[in-house]
Amino acid sequence: MFAEYAWLIPIFPLIAFVIVGFLGNKLFKKAEGGAPIAIIMAAISCVLSLLVAYETLTTGEVYKASLEWMVVDGFTFNMGIYIDNLTALMLIVVSFIATLVVIYSVGYMHSEGEKKRRYYAIISLFIGVMLGLVLASNYLQMFIFWELVGLCSYLLIGFWNTKPSAASAAKKAFLVTRIGDIMLMLGLIIFFVGFKGNLDFDYIFNNVDLFTGGDSLLTLGTFLIFGGAIGKSAQFPLHDWLPDAMEGPTTVSALIHAATMVKAGVYLVARSYPVLIETPDTLIIIAAVGGFTALFAATMALNNTNIKRVLAYSTISQLGYMFLALGASGYLFAVSGDPNVGYMAGMSHLMNHAFFKALLFLSAGAVIHAVHTEDMMRMGGLSKKLKITSAVMLLGCISIAGIPPFSGFWSKDEILATVFETGAYNTGFYLLYAFGIIAAFITAFYMFRLWFLTFSGKPRDQEIYDHAHEAPKVMWIPLVILAVLAVGSGLAGILLGMEGTIEPVAYLSTMHIASGIDMIVDMFQHPLTYVSIIVAVLGIAVAYLMYYSKTIDPARISESKVGKKLGNVLLARYGFTAGYDLFGIKVIYGISKAVDWFDRNIIDGVVKLISLICTLVGKLLRFVQNGLVQTYASIVVVGVSLVVILLLAFGGMF
Amino acid sequence: MLDNLATTLADTLEGIPVLSLLIIIPLIGALAAFFLGKNNAKLAKTIALAFSFVALVLSVFVLIAYYGSGNGGFMFSENYVWVEQLGINYNLAIDGLSLPMVFLSTLLVFLAILFSWDVSEKTRTYMSLMLLLEVGVIGVFTSLDYFLFYIFWEIVLIPMFFLISIWGGPNKSYASIKFLIYTHVASLVMLLGIFALYFTAAGELGYYTFDMAQIASVSGALEMGMKTLIFAALFFGFIVKMPMVPFHTWLPDAHVQAPTAGSVLLAGILLKMGAYGIIRICLPIFPVDVSYEFFGVVINWQMILAAIGVVSMVYGAFACLAQTDLKKMVAYSSISHMGIVMLGIATLTELGIAAAVFQMFAHGIIAAVLFMVCGMFQHKAGTREIPLLGGLVTKMPIVSVIMMFSFMASLGLPGLAGFVAEFSVFTATYDWLGTNYWYWIIIPLMTVALTAAYYLWAMQRTIFGELTTKIRTDNIRDAHWFEVAPIVVLLLLIVLLGVWPSALMDIITPTLPFLSIPGVI
Repeated sequence: MFAEYAWLIPIFPLIAFVIVGFLGNKLFKKAEGGAPIAIIMAAISCVLSLLVAYETLTTGEVYKASLEWMVVDGFTFNMGIYIDNLTALMLIVVSFIATLVVIYSVGYMHSEGEKKRRYYAIISLFIGVMLGLVLASNYLQMFIFWELVGLCSYLLIGFWNTKPSAASAAKKAFLVTRIGDIMLMLGLIIFFVGFKGNLDFDYIFNNVDLFTGGDSLLTLGTFLIFGGAIGKSAQFPLHDWLPDAMEGPTTVSALIHAATMVKAGVYLVARSYPVLIETPDTLIIIAAVGGFTALFAATMALNNTNIKRVLAYSTISQLGYMFLALGASGYLFAVSGDPNVGYMAGMSHLMNHAFFKALLFLSAGAVIHAVHTEDMMRMGGLSKKLKITSAVMLLGCISIAGIPPFSGFWSKDEILATVFETGAYNTGFYLLYAFGIIAAFITAFYMFRLWFLTFSGKPRDQEIYDHAHEAPKVMWIPLVILAVLAVGSGLAGILLGMEGTIEPVAYLSTMHIASGIDMIVDMFQHPLTYVSIIVAVLGIAVAYLMYYSKTIDPARISESKVGKKLGNVLLARYGFTAGYDLFGIKVIYGISKAVDWFDRNIIDGVVKLISLICTLVGKLLRFVQNGLVQTYASIVVVGVSLVVILLLAFGGMF
Repeated sequence: MLDNLATTLADTLEGIPVLSLLIIIPLIGALAAFFLGKNNAKLAKTIALAFSFVALVLSVFVLIAYYGSGNGGFMFSENYVWVEQLGINYNLAIDGLSLPMVFLSTLLVFLAILFSWDVSEKTRTYMSLMLLLEVGVIGVFTSLDYFLFYIFWEIVLIPMFFLISIWGGPNKSYASIKFLIYTHVASLVMLLGIFALYFTAAGELGYYTFDMAQIASVSGALEMGMKTLIFAALFFGFIVKMPMVPFHTWLPDAHVQAPTAGSVLLAGILLKMGAYGIIRICLPIFPVDVSYEFFGVVINWQMILAAIGVVSMVYGAFACLAQTDLKKMVAYSSISHMGIVMLGIATLTELGIAAAVFQMFAHGIIAAVLFMVCGMFQHKAGTREIPLLGGLVTKMPIVSVIMMFSFMASLGLPGLAGFVAEFSVFTATYDWLGTNYWYWIIIPLMTVALTAAYYLWAMQRTIFGELTTKIRTDNIRDAHWFEVAPIVVLLLLIVLLGVWPSALMDIITPTLPFLSIPGVI
């Protein structure tokens, strides 16, 4: 009964966008730039989302509704709503975190003056289109919202648009994700034509075998769709925009670049599962890209001193885990025919990560709000000043590090277990397991490095320390709520029966659904679980020794010859930033310069040459037509004699 | 109720020569503005605005009427014998192909006149030239007689030439002459084609006529060699107008020198005449999809059309990236976007051609805003040179928002008008290429990223970043009401077509079978 009103969910924030965005500054001068409207609308759609999600999760019914949007030549473009358990999960995550972030923004963005109205307008637009993306009933509609969340991301990264670095980062984010979007677009076109002009999830998922064009084309189609996810979810090699995206306000980083938009890629892959399990080759690629990115991105967080950048790398890495889970789970199912917990683990990691990463970002935001710098080298000892923030952030760190019973532990451990299991069918997955476990160690290390550098020890900048203050209530209350979820969402998910609920349809038919308690017992009987825990503890221990007790001097590593070199490679992001720039400036701009030269000199040159010839001929003929009868007479004589000679020579007249 | 209204409207309009009125009203307006506005610029402007508004309202009526009772075929036909001996008829009608173009023309002329409210030099001449232009373009889009078509086609050239040569920038005489000669030579080639078609068709028909439908009905029987020459001549005339690479170099020069309203009409309407001609004239008389031998060379025009379209898309996009003049960049982007139209036509599928027409309309309204934005930069900042600008969002926030909006629309952001056409053209192209050649689509798809690149980069350097110190910025003002008003209308239309594309698509698609294009199933 609630699902019928689900179409209203994205409407409310969009109304907020229109009201806040298009009614003048004066109206909202006293109302925090329109924040109350944005909050109320986000909250309404959050309540509605929770109701719809609750209804769907308890009844297990799939709700579908759609309207014809455009029909041409057998191609049907629809717009509609599609709600299943996966949608429900996303609805909860997106609408809930969005509401908290908007509330938090009241404190964080308080001093932005007239810019606030723009902020609340765009963030409302974002919430609306993100919820629209989640509710979409077909690929094209999803793509439309997919691009629109990208637009919001662009506008919010460049929020401080007079700052050159922000403007540049915004452009980079849009362009790099657009490379992925082109792949996605082509993938959709392959589906659109292959499925005879229908892109509805409902139709495609029930008729995968009706695809015309053969298996290899279907594999290509799914791969290209994953290409879109690579861009949006910042996976290798299109990952480099996300660290730059930290130029935006921290609230934006938390909401868009950690909790929701960057998850759209994971959602897209999870959504496409009924097709993906028919194309195991694509699943291997998904797992490989995810696993590699998990490790690759984590390494870059090792020595970065910018608090937001560390979290950005961490986000990329954690998204890698989700893709790893989805790839491995689907592949395992495709080769063995047995359902497994990988998919559920991936999706619950999406949820858990959304909570703890939003918590971490917003806590970092509270720190930045207090000290007005993002450089951890100028922080230190802040736990005495920011008691609540430091406490909740510590919970977030433990959660992401994977210590039981915090939420991050459950999903990460199940992901790694699935990957290891898949290794039995394809040994390459053992390597991916190794990537995952090393990344887990690094994650625990850099997160606690971050916490120790920020909150423990002596202040490294006394002046900053003296001015630091705890965040206002409007900021720390959302933090506390998120902290509760970051601690408990994983265990709650298992106990409430996520297994068997958030699953691909293909799994359910043959699935043995264990109760939550059984699952937990199972997990702790498995030796690999203890490997994960030990690795996490080790990571924390190393961070403790280096940055808290100072038993190991971090400078000794970073100042050594190898350490310095390696450190520089990491800070240069393995040369990817320079590589992107080189490609953009040298290759693309180089070609465009060449085209421009060619255009001006060759193509227009020919045009000018023709006109020049015409002018010259005209000038020559002008001499002939000089008005003197003698000239005309002589021309006539010459002409006639020429004709006569020619006739004599070739004509054989005589 | 709405259906009732539409039917009543259709009945009413059937009784009056509505298309002739659409041509005559601007003509009267042009004369009135010129003679009555002699010492009164304000009056000239008001007259021009009023007459263009009446034409706009009339075209909206036609739109509603067609929406209600059009079945895809021609409506509001007017057919009078003009020169019987030569078979010249005054033959006008409107269908789903020409209707969007007519509406686009009346809309853009009205808005362009409003936008040029502060023109102070030779105002009455300016205003009457704008209306004269409207006479020409509406004539082009509604005539069904080659002779009439050609006359209107040539009428369009004259006001545009004067608009550039009198109100243009510093290099206006070069640009206007280049525009005139280049496109006029192309028109003459086209005229040659028309005459050749006239005489060869007469051989089949047994009598002489310039009637498009009658000539098309026998075109299948004409000899292929002669038909190739005819097709090539007509096609040349049209692609110079569009313009397609490599016959495009008149366009950037003309745009850079033209006054803003001139550019709006040039990009918004005049370029569409070329694409319209290809769909209306070239495709029905020639089997474009057939491969055949011509003097020992195997020719397939469909491939040539597609290649021209793709080259224009990619080449135009690359050229955009290198421009330093904002307006020149937008001019090249027009070439790139008209390339999409050409590619859509080349697929010879209903989806492709319908999307091409949609793109013609979408580009018309988007390009209009783009050129208005360029005009406002020139007007307010005194320059359009990108390297001299920067950080202007603080000085002119409204102009900046409009710029961002129009750039996003032009780069094909979903939810705005450009996306629907772009996606459909790509789908049609992929479908046409088939499973063996599908990978060719990667080349045109590249423009999706290139387009985003040049637009975003241009914004980064003009409105974002630190406020420029290279020009005086202390007296830069934001947009005037008469600049914002027409833009808001266009932006609303861009959004409307983005979220409700079938509003336009449902007018276009029923007409496609009536065009009787060989090769289109």
